[in-house]
Amino acid sequence: MSSLVSVNDVTVRYPIKGGGTHTVFSALNLTIDEGEFVCVVGQTGCGKSTLLRLILGSERPLSGEVRIEERRICEPNRERGYVPQKCSLFPDKTVLENVAFGPAVESFRLHRLLSPSWWKIRKDIREESREYLERVGLSSRDARKYPDQLSGGMQQRVSLAQSLIMRPRILLMDEAFSALDPATRAEMQRLTRSIWKDTKTTFLFVTHNLAEAVFLGSRVILIAKDNSADYSRIACDVQIPDHIRRPDGYPRQDELDEVIRQLECAAMDRKSDEVLVLK
Amino acid sequence: MLRIFALPNRSMVFALSWLLFAVGAAFYLRTSHLRHIENPDDRIVPTVRQLASGFWHAAMTPADDDTDAVENAHATVVQQFLNSMLWKDTRASGARFLLSLALLLPAVILGLHMGAFPWIGGFFTRFILLFDKIIALSVLPILFIAFGIGQAAKIMLIVIGVAPTIILDTFNLTKSIPAEQVIKGFTLGAKDLAVTYRVMLPQIWPRVLNSIRLNLKAIALFLFAGEMIASTDGLAYRIALLQRHMGMDLILPYVLWVALLLFLVDAALRLLIRWMNPWFREIGFERPN
Repeated sequence: MSSLVSVNDVTVRYPIKGGGTHTVFSALNLTIDEGEFVCVVGQTGCGKSTLLRLILGSERPLSGEVRIEERRICEPNRERGYVPQKCSLFPDKTVLENVAFGPAVESFRLHRLLSPSWWKIRKDIREESREYLERVGLSSRDARKYPDQLSGGMQQRVSLAQSLIMRPRILLMDEAFSALDPATRAEMQRLTRSIWKDTKTTFLFVTHNLAEAVFLGSRVILIAKDNSADYSRIACDVQIPDHIRRPDGYPRQDELDEVIRQLECAAMDRKSDEVLVLK
Repeated sequence: MLRIFALPNRSMVFALSWLLFAVGAAFYLRTSHLRHIENPDDRIVPTVRQLASGFWHAAMTPADDDTDAVENAHATVVQQFLNSMLWKDTRASGARFLLSLALLLPAVILGLHMGAFPWIGGFFTRFILLFDKIIALSVLPILFIAFGIGQAAKIMLIVIGVAPTIILDTFNLTKSIPAEQVIKGFTLGAKDLAVTYRVMLPQIWPRVLNSIRLNLKAIALFLFAGEMIASTDGLAYRIALLQRHMGMDLILPYVLWVALLLFLVDAALRLLIRWMNPWFREIGFERPN
């Protein structure tokens, strides 16, 4: 597998109110391969969302660089899809318009507006958007609704469809299911994993829930504060073995508990950033 | 009665909403009646009959100073109205009012760009903040010197008085759009202008229209100030003229007419906001049903 994202010697530092600075990362290195489902897990404030924003391009490091293949990241673009925890949909647009937004913007040309081909393109985009809505489990009746008429789970489904329709190289999800109830959350986890299996899109999923990370990811990165250095570092980088999963792809509960236990132990013992493969 | 979680029924609320109107009308009628018993020629508080007659006169006959009015004994009611003092004054003030509203559109665009693009925001914000503190009426003499006493000075007065508020309001609304929405726009292939006009503007638009709606009275206030000081037509010009003759039987219908017009513009804007933005709901404190 080739490396898709590379984070090279990245340092992130914020000014603190009242003077001084707070270092989030110091000389952080990380690579993500094409097709991986990487879950970044850690406590609140450890910098996992900062890492996501660095890869998204909405945050710039003080030093170092983030690259997608060989291109240096400057700002967010269509290569990287984004599903945040909240405010993920445009409130002024219907569900269908939200999903069709990306393709519509991309194909929009002022001189095309009056030509018949524009209506054909519009129709095709709407058709494709409906297909993506179906794929995430929404009906054509939902397509006419506005985001505030949807439940949290449905909103995240739309957000997923909205990002997937752009066929991003990597899909970045920031605590995307944190605000959902347990049943909806489990349903969304299953949906996300099946989309990953079907599309082979690279995923970076930020969560504070270790069980969710192991459940979803093919690789789990644990970020923790280094007490001696006062900044966060990758405490543990683990490939989740396939043998702990049932044929349908989901881990058995006893295996899941065991992996979480091993992960926690590994996080406490490990000194280096090399990838660990659990037994 | 003074409970936040009180649940008044609809008919009670409807009745309550008209109570102050009824009390005001009763108070006026009583005062007018008493004054006319004391002095049958009283001109300060005209009777309803005098008010109705004054309004009919304003709405059906041309102004005394209207040299263009055509006398026609066989004119229909509509023709008479279109030739009347009230209609011509309304048309003159209305044209200034609508032109001023149209000139607020560039203010909205400027506010939007200030909020969206940090360089433009940095360039304009401090200046507009200071400009907003200038009392528009204090620059009226300068406007009359610079633009003369014609239409331009009055419209500039309204623009100077209201535009900074609209610019700053639009700026703040644009800044309050969640960062997630802007980032999402970029990840969906939109560039800077597409994010500004297809993500930000539609979201702030109903609130901007609402802000303009809440500033209607300020617009009318500046319009009236300009017309009262230097004008040869318009509703405020007529009220100022009638004040010299103590023509309360005409001033009061004019005041009520202006209030009605503003109320109608306000209602039309509210309908427009609802029609253009079916998704829009002001978030507020929700009471149990």
